[in-house]
Amino acid sequence: MKCKRCRHNPAAVDLPSHHAAFCPDCFFVFFKRQVREGIRKYRLLSAGDRVLVCVSGGKDSLVLWDVLMEMGYETEGLYIDLGIEGYSGRSREKVETFARARGKTPIVVELEKEGVPIPEAARCVRMQECSICGTVKRYFFNRVAAEGNFNVVATGHNLDDETARLLGNLIHWQRDHLSRQHPHLPEAGEGLVRKVKPLWRVSEMETAAYGFLKGIDYVTEECPMSRDATSLVYKEALSLIEDKMPGSRIVFYQGFLDDANPVRQAPAGVTRGEDDAANGGTPRPCASCGAPTYSEICAFCRMKERVRRRREGHAEEVSG
Amino acid sequence: MLPMIRVRLPQKKKEMEVPGPRRVMDILAAAGLRPATVIVTQGKHLLTKDHRVEDGETIDVISVVSGG
Repeated sequence: MKCKRCRHNPAAVDLPSHHAAFCPDCFFVFFKRQVREGIRKYRLLSAGDRVLVCVSGGKDSLVLWDVLMEMGYETEGLYIDLGIEGYSGRSREKVETFARARGKTPIVVELEKEGVPIPEAARCVRMQECSICGTVKRYFFNRVAAEGNFNVVATGHNLDDETARLLGNLIHWQRDHLSRQHPHLPEAGEGLVRKVKPLWRVSEMETAAYGFLKGIDYVTEECPMSRDATSLVYKEALSLIEDKMPGSRIVFYQGFLDDANPVRQAPAGVTRGEDDAANGGTPRPCASCGAPTYSEICAFCRMKERVRRRREGHAEEVSG
Repeated sequence: MLPMIRVRLPQKKKEMEVPGPRRVMDILAAAGLRPATVIVTQGKHLLTKDHRVEDGETIDVISVVSGG
């Protein structure tokens, strides 16, 4: 198969959803165009932005950081060490190696030191591991952005991630979640930084292909705590549809993002929620840490307190 | 024994052998994998789904699906 763009080199990536196949060089052009269009369409980033890129060591976030650097954005990487034995160390090594090769040093937050390693938090809170992880990450996105004067946080969520989330929200008719799902979450009140997803137009396979062809060494093992994640079920369902009807995913997501789509209208009282509490009105400082929250104590501090109490309980059992 | 195509699935720590020659898409179907969920590599090369793999060659099938 020849490249559909240069019509000369052998193709390396075939994309049924675009009726196209590209050689590596032409695929890089295609990929960056997709990202650029995603940024342009919803004004995700501007030339003067100081961008905090959240990197996990996986393909999507490292590819995002690579592409944004190549596009000339001012970026720094944030790595959150989740405290998962083995996996976190290997992920961190990938991030640090990637950054070093580009003359960067990632900002690192260690959840063990912060008192909320994910495996321990999962034993204390009645939430899915991935939801706990999301809550903790969002907390540090805002905190590190404020501390480092970043005006925007970028994450590596791709088209597969966004459509899986959309399908889940639709199946459960999560009206409040639907109203907040977008590649561009604007800044909301003091301390809630703008959040963007510049890879929303590209698929997981495209990101992996880009990373492989660019020689980006990313962690390919799956997070051990996400094995039962419901998002994997939605992804499986969507990949079946995509295989039979290429292009379905982007049509599904773009249709959802249409401003006229009534599904996106927020139910009364819902604003941009950052934690798992029912929310409304404007965010106020957490009584414990000062972070923006819609309840008296933010979700992160509540979680941290439960871990602390559990640790104290254990210590008492041991000493008693 | 005749050489076959060696198919490695590193994330699952699995390997399988299939008789060649065979297209990548047919190998994936034999392994029960959907094309949109993997990339298929051979050394530093990425293979398209219609690429024909010969007996004696080795390919890696890497899942691209991440949870969470």
